[in-house]
This record gives sequence, C-alpha cells and structure tokens, in this order.
Amino acid sequence: MEPFEYAVKKDVRNNPIVREVDEARQRELWKSVGVAGFLVVVLLFSAWQHFELLRHGYQVEELQRERAAEEEISRRLRLEIETLKSPKRVEALAIGKLHLVAPARDEAIVLERVVPADPPAKTVVARR
Amino acid sequence: MTFDWRPTLKRRTRAAAVLFALWATVIEGKLAYLQVYRHGDLVARASRQQMRTIDAPAKRGDIVDRRGRVLATSVDADTIYAVPSEIGNPDEVAAKLCAALADCKHNERQALADRLRRQRAFAYVRRQVSPDEKRRVEVLNLDGIGFIKESRRFYPNKELAAHLVGYVGIDNGGLGGIESAYDTQIRGKPGTVLIQTDARRHAFSRTERPPTAGSTVELTIDEYLQHVAERELHAGVAENGAAGGTAIIVNPHTGEILALASEPTFNPNAYRDSQENERRNRAVQDLYEPGSTFKVVTASAAIEEKVMPVSTMIDTNPGQIKIGPRVVRDTHDYGVISFVDVLVKSSNVGAIKIGFKVGTERLGRYVERFGFGRPVSPDFPGENPGIVWAPEKWTDSALASVSMGYQVGVTPLQMVTAVSSVANGGELVQPRAVRAIYRDNRRYVVQPKVVRRTINADTAAILTGIMEDVVERGTAKAAQIPGFTIAGKTGTSRKLVGGRYSHSEYNASFVGFLPSRKPAVAIIVTIDSPHSSAGYYGGAVSAPIFKRIAEAALRYLGVPPTLNPAAPVLVARDSDLSRTPTATSGAAEPVVSLIADGPADALPDLRGQSARDAVRTLVKLGLGARVSGDGFVVSQDPEPGAPLEPGTVCRLVLDRSPVRRRPGGASQP
Repeated sequence: MEPFEYAVKKDVRNNPIVREVDEARQRELWKSVGVAGFLVVVLLFSAWQHFELLRHGYQVEELQRERAAEEEISRRLRLEIETLKSPKRVEALAIGKLHLVAPARDEAIVLERVVPADPPAKTVVARR
Repeated sequence: MTFDWRPTLKRRTRAAAVLFALWATVIEGKLAYLQVYRHGDLVARASRQQMRTIDAPAKRGDIVDRRGRVLATSVDADTIYAVPSEIGNPDEVAAKLCAALADCKHNERQALADRLRRQRAFAYVRRQVSPDEKRRVEVLNLDGIGFIKESRRFYPNKELAAHLVGYVGIDNGGLGGIESAYDTQIRGKPGTVLIQTDARRHAFSRTERPPTAGSTVELTIDEYLQHVAERELHAGVAENGAAGGTAIIVNPHTGEILALASEPTFNPNAYRDSQENERRNRAVQDLYEPGSTFKVVTASAAIEEKVMPVSTMIDTNPGQIKIGPRVVRDTHDYGVISFVDVLVKSSNVGAIKIGFKVGTERLGRYVERFGFGRPVSPDFPGENPGIVWAPEKWTDSALASVSMGYQVGVTPLQMVTAVSSVANGGELVQPRAVRAIYRDNRRYVVQPKVVRRTINADTAAILTGIMEDVVERGTAKAAQIPGFTIAGKTGTSRKLVGGRYSHSEYNASFVGFLPSRKPAVAIIVTIDSPHSSAGYYGGAVSAPIFKRIAEAALRYLGVPPTLNPAAPVLVARDSDLSRTPTATSGAAEPVVSLIADGPADALPDLRGQSARDAVRTLVKLGLGARVSGDGFVVSQDPEPGAPLEPGTVCRLVLDRSPVRRRPGGASQP
C-alpha cells in the first residue's frame, strides 16, 4: 500500500485580530529614545565644546601674536619719535635748514610771575 | 532530504567568535602594552612633540630723563642663525650671506664659513641685524638659515648723556653707567611659556609664567640741559685745543645732577667702535688736582674756625713764598692784600699763609667734611674716591700744597658737590643721578640726602660774597652774565706728567653757582690740557664755557634776573567758567617769551588739563588724585602753588567747558 500523503490547509484569518498597543512598552521605548537622544546631544555638545576650545586656542594665540607685534611696532615708533626729537638733530635742522638763531639775551626776557592769593570767601569783595 | 544548516551555522559562529575574541585580545593587548607598559615613554614623546617650552626674556626697563623723555629703550631685533647640518655648501652660503650683510669683510666671511662647516645643530650668523639686512638675507631663501628675535638696546639720542646712561653688551647686560649700576633692577626677570602645538606645529594653548619687566629708571638729568652742556663743552674743548673736559650742572639744594657731560664722548649704540678713553666718565673717574678752586675749602676752614677775620690783610710780598727748599709763586706780586682778595686774585702765597694759620688738623677736617677722599654718590659704582693724604702725614710743604689745591686728587663731581654745599647754606647734599624708579606701575622717588653740615649758614654767606667778588672783579670776569649775580672760583693747576709737574699741560677749571643769593644751579667746567691763544687759566678757558652753559640753563629754567629785574607780571585769576577758550583769547597775555613758574616744590596749576594729564602729573609728584565729573579740570583742591606734601590727595573737579589757562602757563619751558 502506497503511503498516503495529505495536507490540511486551514485558512486562518487574523484580520479581525486587533493588535493592542502596549502603553507601558511604548513609554519605555520613548524613554529609551529620549535618553539616547540626550546622550547624543551631550556627546555632540562635548565635541562642539572641545573643538570650540581648540578654535579659540588658535584664535587666542593669533591675537597674542598680533598684540606682541603691535606692541613691538609701538616701541619702534616711539624709538623713532625720540630719535627725531633728539635736541641735537632738532637744533641742527633749526639752524641749518630753517636758519633760526638762538634768542639773544635781550630778546628772551624771563619775568617773575606773581599770583595773588584768592580773597577770603566771605568778604564783600568776593561777593561782588 | 532536507539539509540541517543549524550545526554548520553554529560552528561558523563559534569560529568567528573565536577569531573576533583573538582579534580583540590582540588589540586589547596592544592597547595595554601602549597604555600601561610604555605609558611613561609615550607620554614623554607626546609632550616633546606637542609641548614647547620657550624662555620669555624680560624686556629691559627704559631709562628716561626727568621729563620722561626716553634716553634708552629696547626693541626686538632679528638675529640670523644657521643649522650647519642642513647646509650643503658652506662656502657658497657664507659668500651669499656675507654679500647680503653690511660691513662683512673677508675675515668675517671666512669665520662664517668655518662655523657653517662644523656639523652642529646651531650657529649664529650675525646677531641683532638691521631690518634691511634681514630682508636681504630673507630673499636669498637659503636652506638651514633662520631668524630669531632678540631684544636690542637703543639710545635714540646717540651720544647724549652716554657716560651717564652707559651701555649694554650683546647679551643685554649693563656694562657702564646707570645701565650697569642699576642692572639688576633694569634687567627684570625672565619667564617661561609652555605652548601646546598640533601636528603642524601651530600653537593652540599656552601656560605661561610671564617675565617680570625691568624697572624704568627716571634720571635727574634734563635732556635739554644735557644737550646744552655737551654742546658748549664740545665747542670749548675744540676752541682751546684741549684733550678733554667735563661739565656738570647740579641743583645745589637737592643734589640732583641736571647734566653731566664728558668729552671726548662716544655713541653707546656702537660702543665697540669707541676707544676706552672715550667711554671713560671723566666727571667721576678722573682725578685732577683742583688748584685754586680748592681755596674755597681753605677759606671755609679759616672763616668757620674764626682763624682770621675776612678783613685781615695778608702780605703776599714778594709774590713768592719759600717752604723748605721749595718756592711757590704767584702770577703777580700782589703786595699786601685782604683775605677776600686772596681768593679774588687767587693768590697762592696768601692761601698758603691762611692754610698755615688754619693748621693741618683743622684743614684736614674740612677737607673730609666737604666730602673729598671718598665716593660721594651711590649712582656711580666706578666713582674714583679721590686721593687725600691723612693729615698726620702732612708736612709743611704738603699743608701749603693742600691750601692751594695741590696734593689732593678730586673728581669734578666732588668739587661741584663741595661748592654746592656753600651755595645751599652749608649742607653737603649727596649728588644723585636717579630721581625715581618705576616698578609695577608705581613710582618710587629717591629722596634727597643731606650727608652732613660742612659750614654754618653765616660762613656760607660770607664765602658767597667773596666768590661773587671773584666773578665781579677777580679772575672770573669772563663768567659774568648781565642781570645775574654769580659766585664762583677759578682754578688752574699743573698736570703731573711722568711724575713731575708739567710746564705745558694744565687743568683749567671754574666752579660756581647762580643766582648767587638764591642759587638755581651749581656748575663746574674742567678743561684738560688746553692749548690755545686764550691761554690755560681757568678764568680764560673754563669761565666762558660756564657762562654759555649758565645763560642757556637760566633761560630754560625760567630764572628771572636778580639785578634790575623787569617788573613781575601780576597774573589775575580767571574763574569765569562760562567762557570757552578761543584762539584769540590769549590777546591779553603779556608780550614775553618765557615766564617763570612757581617753585618746583609747589603743586602745579592743573586747570585746563585733561583728567589723564592731570592725574599723570599728580602721580609723578607722588600725590594721589580724586576725580569728579568729566571733561577738563576746572578746579583743584589744594590750590595751585600749595606746598607739596607726600601722600596728599588732590581733588579734581572736571567739567566739559574747560577753564581758560592762565596766561603764560602754556609757554612754560
């Protein structure tokens, strides 16, 4: 006798089955997403901070270099001013180029300056 | 038949897991090896690569004059260096460098090539080069040649006050003058900077121990007076064909040295090109026998000790005196002259006779009292103390010599200090070149120091009268300035050449103070070995130089004449704040070029100044400031002219509509 083979086909219809939303699990899920998102933000913030620190480090270095250079320029300019103001040079220019002469004894008179003291605050004279 | 894939999957999964575990173990092992076993080594290597420690040299402090004008300052200069191991052809590189550098001679090129041939990590090519030289070397773009910054000292006025200011060596160490005397304060303290760099060696972080900048030293000298002293001294030395000379201007009341000139001089920017003779500060390092100027000391002792009244007549006949085998002569036979005329005519015979009356012990005491034989100022470490024999060892001949200014070695600074004590009424004030030191943004003022009383005020007044006569009718008529009373004394002394007094080489000097009754300055001029038609006497050689210096100094300091002075200008106060100053507001100003201001020890008129200028002025005077309002100073408390008292706080009221300055205030020199 030949073996008898058969198959039972049962039409299972699960359309009417309604998946019930598991509120607790959903909350857990969102919580996990929230925590993960938070961690990612923290990580990104930390990285941003780190790179900002580096960027500012470069900027500070650049500014310090600029400041040192400006200070040096200032010192050089001051030195140049002082060199140009040297009395020997000024005198040579005044005499040689501008043909100026030192004032003679009678041309420069030094007068004594006398400054009267203020009158007392409560006198008639002061009130006038 | 169906194939059971599950055992296969399990095997493969196990194999993969084992492989993964092995891989992870190897990675972890390597990590542990690097992080734990080689931790120290790798951290050190990382530090070496990422961290650079740089020495931050301290900037030398500036040296400024009493008005804040810069006499010495430091700026960065480029130094060219080489890395010889990176240079392929040293001879070629040396030739190119030498062509680009100024004043590079064959010897230097050879030496440079030798340095480049040595396979070292570093060699200087040339230090502190000019910007032009740097540019020329830069464009060559040579391998193994680089630049570093070094601080270089500059003296913008070149020779001006060179002996006083001094100079520094290539490594910024003070080698002379104030630069050397105050080196520890001017030099400052170097710091360190720890820099973190990235792979491209760009710095992005630093930790620093900043350098402490050197203190700024404010000198007592005035740039203009110094210029005048140097100009006139130089002209005087040239006119008289002299070997050198000195001129010193001192404030006799405070001991402040307003100018100190020494001739010949040098440029401290290029001190290596000068001779030792030019760098020597003759004013404090050279000794000379003062000759007749020293008779002031002899006369002081005689008057103070009441040895003889000034009306005493002294017989100087026959114009010479014999002391043992030695004969001392006057230039003329003055006959019988008064004590006063001994100084006025500068009689050696008379001075010796006064000296004998004073005696060894008393004269020795006065020589010491006037500060001879020891250094007088702490601002000149190389100062020569002078030579004064112990009085116990004086013979009659020595006493005679000292009485007329021989057998004592003094410096010009000692001599002017001694005469200053006569000028100020008898107090020996320590001469000083440093007025204040600025440290940590604070100004530390050096106070005047009275060393001792040399003579009493009456003696000083009598001596002043005698010294006035010297200028008025004596040996120093060439020093007269119309309108001013001047007290002074000439001096002419033979120089010791080869252990014997020369008959052709002299020191000619003049020391005096003016206006004699209210001295503003004491001045000494010494000329070494004058050889001209004017002769060699102090009155003919040094007195005219003294006069020219004094005239310019009086005008600059605004000292009014003492004889027949012009009527004082009465300056009215102007408290009308509503008026704004205009260009024509000065129409009422007196037609004078210079107006004397109040005394230096009084509070200045700050009205009309900006808050910044007023506060700066007060801080310079060592006073505090309290400011209210904004704009310009319209009133101040204490009032202008009030005596200066250290620690006083001056209240300044500011307003947007500035008060008009007093006439003449702006023209103050």
